[in-house]
Amino acid sequence: MLVRKVKERLFLAGITILTFLTILPLFHIIFSVAVEGLPVILRGGWDFIIGTLAPPDDGLGGIGPAIVGTFVLTFLASLLGLPIAILTGIYAAEYPNSMLGKATRTLLMIMMEFPTILVGLFVMQILVVPMGSYSALAGALALAIVMMPYVAVYTEEALRGVPEKYREGAFALGLTRFNVVFRVLIGLARKGILTGVLIGIAKVAGETAPLLFTAGGATRTYFNGIDRPVGAIPLLIYDLVQQPYENYHEIAWGASLLLLIIFLAIFLPLRLSLKEVKL
Amino acid sequence: MKKVSIVLLLVLSLALAGCAQQGKPTSGETTSQKVTLIGSGATFPQPQLEKWIDAYMKLNTNVVIEYTGKGSGGGQADFEKGLVDFACSDPPIKEALWKKLEQKGQPLQFPMIVGAVVVSYNVPGIKELRLDGKTLAGIFMGKIRYWDDPAIKNLNPNLDLPHKEIIVVHRSDSSGTTKIFTTYLCLVSDEWKEMVGSGKVVEWPVDKLGRGVGGKGNPGVVAAIKNNPYSIGYTELAYAIKENLPIVALENRDGYFVKPNDTTIKAAIAEVSMKFPSPKEGYKEKIENLLNAPGKDSYPIVAVSHIIVWEHYQDKAKERAIRNFVKWILTDGQNSEYIAAGYVGLPSELTQKLLEEVGW
Repeated sequence: MLVRKVKERLFLAGITILTFLTILPLFHIIFSVAVEGLPVILRGGWDFIIGTLAPPDDGLGGIGPAIVGTFVLTFLASLLGLPIAILTGIYAAEYPNSMLGKATRTLLMIMMEFPTILVGLFVMQILVVPMGSYSALAGALALAIVMMPYVAVYTEEALRGVPEKYREGAFALGLTRFNVVFRVLIGLARKGILTGVLIGIAKVAGETAPLLFTAGGATRTYFNGIDRPVGAIPLLIYDLVQQPYENYHEIAWGASLLLLIIFLAIFLPLRLSLKEVKL
Repeated sequence: MKKVSIVLLLVLSLALAGCAQQGKPTSGETTSQKVTLIGSGATFPQPQLEKWIDAYMKLNTNVVIEYTGKGSGGGQADFEKGLVDFACSDPPIKEALWKKLEQKGQPLQFPMIVGAVVVSYNVPGIKELRLDGKTLAGIFMGKIRYWDDPAIKNLNPNLDLPHKEIIVVHRSDSSGTTKIFTTYLCLVSDEWKEMVGSGKVVEWPVDKLGRGVGGKGNPGVVAAIKNNPYSIGYTELAYAIKENLPIVALENRDGYFVKPNDTTIKAAIAEVSMKFPSPKEGYKEKIENLLNAPGKDSYPIVAVSHIIVWEHYQDKAKERAIRNFVKWILTDGQNSEYIAAGYVGLPSELTQKLLEEVGW
């Protein structure tokens, strides 16, 4: 008896510690980014958010072009990626046993783990080189490719999670398949789908690798059209930390905190406010 | 799904607001059109270039210049593919690439800024160390094992050198700095030339002896020197200055011991400025020609970083803007007020020669 109880306690203690260790890095990241980044943003003030980059060893300037670029890229990527991804997810959920449905599912899983730097190289070859310029469009396409499998897989799983009786009920009312999916099932699965959409958006807002060969980067111009290079916050951070200058490292910390805030701002309120669907 | 569309609308309106804000000043304020120049390439001259761009954009409000640092090779590739208007590269363009470029138009390669590779060390209590090329090669070969070796002692009779093993720090990644440093060692030591040679990566003899330490990038080398007492290594001037490391005075070709600074680096480039090819034949430039320059004040290990542009662009406004920018870099831009710490400007006889050769 005693041995069994001790074993149980040990097991519980073990998983508690491991759980703690798993989430520890998250809090450490948030903490250190806030501690290093907040003073920079406070010192830089409004200029840090709307201004352009300072020269080396000379003040903070601002990261406005990178912020605008990140919003433009994320928006364009969502525009390109979300409709296709959601429809793909619906297809995979509606036809789970067809050849194409099965293949779609497997391929989505592979796409999810695909090295993002290769996505960047691919887009460079098909878009950047023919267009003759790095561009917001190319960056957005690369991000859309990274985003799509997440959204599609979440959509599919959310739809599969809807109990069969709702589908049967809808069909029994005489609805067409289109109406069953878009009027009934999607409404019930909205939390799961929206989670996928948000994870996709939040993920690409912080991506660096797909942008290295596509977006081009910008520190002095905000936005010149979707066929011209744009900046992005992760790209800027990557660039700045490689420089030997103290002020560039400070700007990178400030930019990291802003990126974190943008990430949490997309993620938290919607996640929390979204009503659970009672089934 | 309504919420998704609300989010999308929000993001859209934000993006549009951003565009609108940006759009206003360009359309209203100036009569002439704004020209945007895009460049990419070497990271070494990037801080200097950013400084120039900032100053230049203040003087010429209708030009916007964007530069992305991604390495010399990346810049050359971008330039070849026509993705950028100009590129920066530490090593001069090789002949094969130059010939390819010439099929599209006349490329021009200008030296724009000088840097130096310096030898730094960490020996407690020692602040002023002198070395000559042969001894330096001996240390990096591993032949000179202790700090109180007679070869080092003879050059530094006044120093109290410890009987400690020398730890040799070198770059672990592929690097133009290594290429320049090993090319210099080849010039001053036949033995080094035969046994090791030069390149972006070489087989360090000291590694086999167990006294070599590799560092990634200039920051890695600087950190390794700082963390290992009795070590010696090579790095770019800007990093040694920034980290306050002691710097070796090297013996130059004429037998004088010189430390790298504005005067000695400029003197070295001035001595060899006639060896620079015309910007129209940039591929003829050789790293060796700049090293171990003659002259009393010349520091022996210097290198230039280049800017590469086309002579003609389809867009004539762009052509004018590029020309003015390069011309400004080579004239006013070389004034000390526009030069960032750790960099050295070009001597004026060289910049004049270059500009005359392209007729600007």
